[in-house]
Amino acid sequence: MAEFVMVILGGLKFGAVYALAAIGIVVIHKATRTVNFAHGGLVMLGAFATYVLVVDWKWPYWTAYLVVPLLIGALAAGLELSILRPLRRADLFTVVLGTIFLGTALSEAFRLAYNTELLAVPAAISGAPIFIDIGEDAAIVTLEQIWVTGGALAVGLAGLFLFRYSTLGRSMRAMASNIRGAQLCGYSVERVYATAWFTGGALAGLAGVFAAPSRGVSPELAVSIIASAFVAAVIGGFDSLAGALIGGLLLGVVETLSAAYVSSAAKSAISFVLLFLVLLWRPEGLFPEAKRRHV
Amino acid sequence: MSDARRPLAILSPLLAPLALFLWGWAAGDYWRFVLTLVATSTVIGAALTMLVGFARCISLATGAMMGIGAYCSTLLILHAGLPFPVAVVASALAGGVGGLLLAIPAVRFKSHNLAMVTLVFQAVVIILVREMKSVTGGAEGLNVAPPVIFGQTISSDLVYLGMAACFCALALLPISVLLSGPYGRNLRALATNEVAARAFGIRIERYLMAAFTVSSAAIAMAGALAAPRFRIIDPDSFGLHTSIVMLAYPVIGGMTSIWGGILGGGLMRLLPELLRPIADYIELILAAIVILTVMFFRGGLTEIGERLCPRRTAPLAAAPDAPAERATTLPAPRPPSHAHAGDALVATNIVKRYGALAAVDDVTLAIRAGTLHGIMGPNGAGKTTFFNAVTGFIAPDAGRVVLFGQEAKPGRVEDRIALGITRTFQHVAIFPGLTCRDNVIAGLGRNGVRQSFRRSLDRALWSAAARDEHEAASWALAAVGLRSLAETRADQLSLGNQRRLEIARAIVSRPRLILLDEPVSGVSHGEVEQIVTLLRRLNVELGATMLIVEHNIGFLTALCDRISVMASGRIIADGLPAEVVARKEVRQVYFGEIEDAA
Repeated sequence: MAEFVMVILGGLKFGAVYALAAIGIVVIHKATRTVNFAHGGLVMLGAFATYVLVVDWKWPYWTAYLVVPLLIGALAAGLELSILRPLRRADLFTVVLGTIFLGTALSEAFRLAYNTELLAVPAAISGAPIFIDIGEDAAIVTLEQIWVTGGALAVGLAGLFLFRYSTLGRSMRAMASNIRGAQLCGYSVERVYATAWFTGGALAGLAGVFAAPSRGVSPELAVSIIASAFVAAVIGGFDSLAGALIGGLLLGVVETLSAAYVSSAAKSAISFVLLFLVLLWRPEGLFPEAKRRHV
Repeated sequence: MSDARRPLAILSPLLAPLALFLWGWAAGDYWRFVLTLVATSTVIGAALTMLVGFARCISLATGAMMGIGAYCSTLLILHAGLPFPVAVVASALAGGVGGLLLAIPAVRFKSHNLAMVTLVFQAVVIILVREMKSVTGGAEGLNVAPPVIFGQTISSDLVYLGMAACFCALALLPISVLLSGPYGRNLRALATNEVAARAFGIRIERYLMAAFTVSSAAIAMAGALAAPRFRIIDPDSFGLHTSIVMLAYPVIGGMTSIWGGILGGGLMRLLPELLRPIADYIELILAAIVILTVMFFRGGLTEIGERLCPRRTAPLAAAPDAPAERATTLPAPRPPSHAHAGDALVATNIVKRYGALAAVDDVTLAIRAGTLHGIMGPNGAGKTTFFNAVTGFIAPDAGRVVLFGQEAKPGRVEDRIALGITRTFQHVAIFPGLTCRDNVIAGLGRNGVRQSFRRSLDRALWSAAARDEHEAASWALAAVGLRSLAETRADQLSLGNQRRLEIARAIVSRPRLILLDEPVSGVSHGEVEQIVTLLRRLNVELGATMLIVEHNIGFLTALCDRISVMASGRIIADGLPAEVVARKEVRQVYFGEIEDAA
């Protein structure tokens, strides 16, 4: 029983990071109708920036939480400005091709800059683990686990509220549903696109900061994160921030469960199986945004 | 015309393996080794041109398909002792099966979701290879023995290159035939306009399944050919990374002809060899090239090439916006065979509801064969919905449609063309990337996948059937006055000419009933008169019944024999044009006139 609880908690920790990355994908998609396959690259660069700050420059860990999101957000906005702007009028097909190779370019740039297999980042918080008594056994929970799960979820929820209730969120939703109409109402395309990418990038950067201690930094991180974040977003219906949040947590738990009780191969396969099943039976996701109503 | 050269153009991709072989002959062993891999890359590029360029399906499963081919042939040689060429063919079949398995779920999706499904396939194949250690050797990989043919072990790099070139030629030929024939054209048609494609009998899912199957078979064959050159095959060589690198082939080369994939594949495989000193940067360079291509030269290398040396066949005289020549009366190649008495269309009690709104509310309408029948009515009257119910685009909630005495089941749109029914669209629905002639040929029907395969072969051989299609298209284009623009791309036409092109596509199959949805909306006043003349003439010459939905009352009264007026989903008046327009309730509904004595 205690083992089971620990597996679930461990899953929630990974899931919270997936959720954060997935929310970034959804924010960008909601506001700009761009499916960002380069998102995994952004998360990886976030983890990499954390490494540089914390290990190379020996800054205190908390600075990473402030600096990295700003940095990756700015990078994402810059990519939108320089590379995706010319593609704005192109169809989704072309944009998807563009972002796939953008992601490759990002992880390649990292690989060339730091020619190592894996960079290790120390834990953000250390301290005595907490023991929770369950029956005869005790579940061990590390502070790191609590911090990552709680922190990532808090950021995710903040993003959710921001998108739903702020003017900025409204402008993004307006832009997504009718770009011309939104322009006529005085929303600036440039500003909304730039903010959406900045927000998405900042979330990716944060996901990277949270993921860095447990996952390390490697080019493979980009691929594994993008796959998981996509699965989370698809489970959530791709256009729902809350859905992406829940989808991420669900995926994290399912992955660790299958790793613990089936095999490590099952862990890598399960997310794909999940994605496949959701796409096949509920392409609108398990938590579709507001059902369409017929008048 | 380029007609006489067409078979040669279809054979031209075979120059690629030939050139590679000749180069290898002149070069040393190391280059022979490299060129073998280049040859397999040209096949992969060509296969991806079909899937990514023509069908616009982003596939991230290329590596997996290659892996299926490589492992399949290696294991068959190892365990079943098959001769190498047989194993290569068998692995192509295995790849085809793999492609079909992937396509069955994948073709339901578009763009990024489709890409994700292919990613799932890729990941699962690699996991399987890694886990089935006893068969595949797991992550450590599998040793590939040198190929054996007729008991002879092939150790010479040149002989191997020659054999690989032969196999590549064998794979390129069918791809070339398919892509330059009706199959390839229909793929491009459905990628640009699904609705119109379906209206002319192109069944999208089947086409995409065929594209996945054929391209996967070719990719698996390339994998089987490359395997002995790798010496050891392991799951990492066929990972997602490989898929992404290969996805670059058609993008960089150009996605509108087989040469794009061949050039892209060949050059991108050569690039790492040419840039050896900076080999570390090769993938960054590759990604950068793709991003630049997507940003600035979306046509890829082939388009750049065409721009540098424009093709001679471009019709110089016909500036795309030149007014079309007067539609000429041509003797119809076949006499109108549908001189048909009775009713062309009987729609009884058609009802279509959207939630609480009855868009079509119990409409009964009979149209006599050979007549021109107009339907008018204000916006939201239910005209287009009725139209869609008749053409099978939507299934009505109630009512039946009888076409020429035959009950039309509310089944697939794709089957209506076989009943002799064609349509045009309110918003012009041509296939923009195709020439006018190819747009019209798509309207001939016979667009089932297998039929299109056979027609592609006909086209390659320039047989009588293909010449007939060519002539029929010429006839239809001449009938609407677009003869001189036959080889122009459809998206370069003016709106009025695009509407004519739609009419040409609708008449080329000599239908019994043509449904025209707002054929003159957005067309200039002068052209409206020309279209009236054109439609009247087609009605007489073809004996085709026409049902026309329009807002333009002047156009309808000038053209039609009878007019029905719809409002709020019901037919409120029906009769001769002048009489109907004069009716009080029609004027009230349509022009908003208020009765004086209120």
